[in-house]
Amino acid sequence: MEGKTKKIAKKIALYVILILLAVIWVVPMFTLVATAIKSQSDFYSGIGLFELPDNIAWDNFINAITQGRLLTYMKNDLIVSCLKVPLGIFVEALAAFALTRLKVKHKTGIFVFFLIGMMLPMQTALVPINVIYSKLGLLNTYFGLFYVYIGFGISFGILILRGFFNGIPKDIDEAAYIDGCNKWQLFYKIILPVAKPAIATLVITDFLSTWNEYLLASVIINDNTMKTVPVGIMTFVGEHGTDYGYLCAGVLLSVIPVLIVYLIFQRHFVEGMAGAVKS
Amino acid sequence: MKKNKNIVKTEKSAWLFMLPAAIIYLSVIVIPVFYSLYISLFKWNGIGEMTFVGLDNYLNLFSGDATFRTAIINNLIWIVLTIVVTMTVSLGFAVILNKQFRGRTFFRGFFYFPCVIAPIAVAIIWRWIYNPNMGFINQFFEAIGIDFSQQWISNPDTSLYAVFIAALWQAIGQPMILFLAGLQAISPDVLEAATIDGASGVKRFFYITIPLLKDTFVIVIATLITAALKVYDVVQGLTGGGPNDATQMLSTYMYSQVFQYNNVGYGTAVACIMVIMMMVVIVPYVSFTAKED
Repeated sequence: MEGKTKKIAKKIALYVILILLAVIWVVPMFTLVATAIKSQSDFYSGIGLFELPDNIAWDNFINAITQGRLLTYMKNDLIVSCLKVPLGIFVEALAAFALTRLKVKHKTGIFVFFLIGMMLPMQTALVPINVIYSKLGLLNTYFGLFYVYIGFGISFGILILRGFFNGIPKDIDEAAYIDGCNKWQLFYKIILPVAKPAIATLVITDFLSTWNEYLLASVIINDNTMKTVPVGIMTFVGEHGTDYGYLCAGVLLSVIPVLIVYLIFQRHFVEGMAGAVKS
Repeated sequence: MKKNKNIVKTEKSAWLFMLPAAIIYLSVIVIPVFYSLYISLFKWNGIGEMTFVGLDNYLNLFSGDATFRTAIINNLIWIVLTIVVTMTVSLGFAVILNKQFRGRTFFRGFFYFPCVIAPIAVAIIWRWIYNPNMGFINQFFEAIGIDFSQQWISNPDTSLYAVFIAALWQAIGQPMILFLAGLQAISPDVLEAATIDGASGVKRFFYITIPLLKDTFVIVIATLITAALKVYDVVQGLTGGGPNDATQMLSTYMYSQVFQYNNVGYGTAVACIMVIMMMVVIVPYVSFTAKED
């Protein structure tokens, strides 16, 4: 009996802690929403953060989309992400396949060589890429941006895919070769489909890191019509630094696509990330 | 005989499989790193003539540049803060979220969510939270009747820590997931055996769970340190390195030298120092990972 009461007390304590943490964790999102629904005149009248305005300022959202060019930024970001993610994963999978299923001299050495890029700061590439790109006319282009992104994603992609490919039994290869597959068919028809879970995880993490990248995009893109969302919302801050409602509406709208992707694929994030690391 | 022939053939096609990744990797990562090292030996404004100055950029950085010194110290403080605070908090979250209770999946997803928002958006949101007049924190203190209004990010004494708190909100997700994976890999039998032997919950945690998480700690510490050395977006978006260089990092300093003051050679030298500092972390980590194989 006593043990049971103790158990219940523990459960209650757990929930109290969790809810307290959740309340703290929700503050930034609460602030964002509470500000985005207020108009400039609400602020002039000295409205508090915790008070509701008389009318929700939908204008903030409309302005963010029309004057703020938010849709243009989203379109650009979507194009770059949709090019980068599949191409990057394909290139990484090819290399990971060679490193796990084919005979390669200095396998570990090549793997380590590919791994180092994961930790190098992007700052080292900024000036050289800027110089080379301005010579080749690649500044302010989609290609210029997603090419660099693929480069910086290669290390992580190979790390994850190599780990997963290693876990696929080698017997499959033998069987496939006996059935008349060549190496390309083994890769494309057998290994890639089996690796779906790892690829799914990679697609999501890759998509988000591309969508959210700021430093390289801020250097490669300065044309307003070519900006991605992170660079675009920094432009917001520069242009409308004091119009808080408008600013927060823009940031909120920029978060919504990510929120949707996250809600759909949530399982993949938490379970998938853990699985990817374990393998 | 036949087998030998096969080996040679395989190697050729293996190169083909690795070729695309190798070309992109070399052109985006490897060559630019060496090109940066080269540029760092010159005085250059980005457009005009490059003047070879040898190691002068480095000597100037280390001998007389107070801002550079501040940036290095701030990066080191940031590393210590992430190891002490971020790692502890994320381990705490992982331990709580590893327990059996209803709504566990929801809470895991909830606390991981900040991770998926753009760091630059996080910075903008927190800039607003820290706003001295209208921001959440000062308004909250006012609402509960405590006079604790601060300038937060525009006060050099508090700004670095204020930026760190903003980063923390987002930074715990990744290590939390890693710790959760580590905790799930621990067999319940081990903990049960310890319970039967009379070990208390706290004892079990420190003498069994923590040692069993050794590998996870290595990954978490390595990723946290490299992330701390690279930290840029959240600082740039919140303070841009100010006020008075109080939150200046190597990354923000490099950016301002190159793109605001056009000291391209000098700023690139800062980037090269970042690489060297990173190597100090990478080399032992990679050799550890490679050995695991």
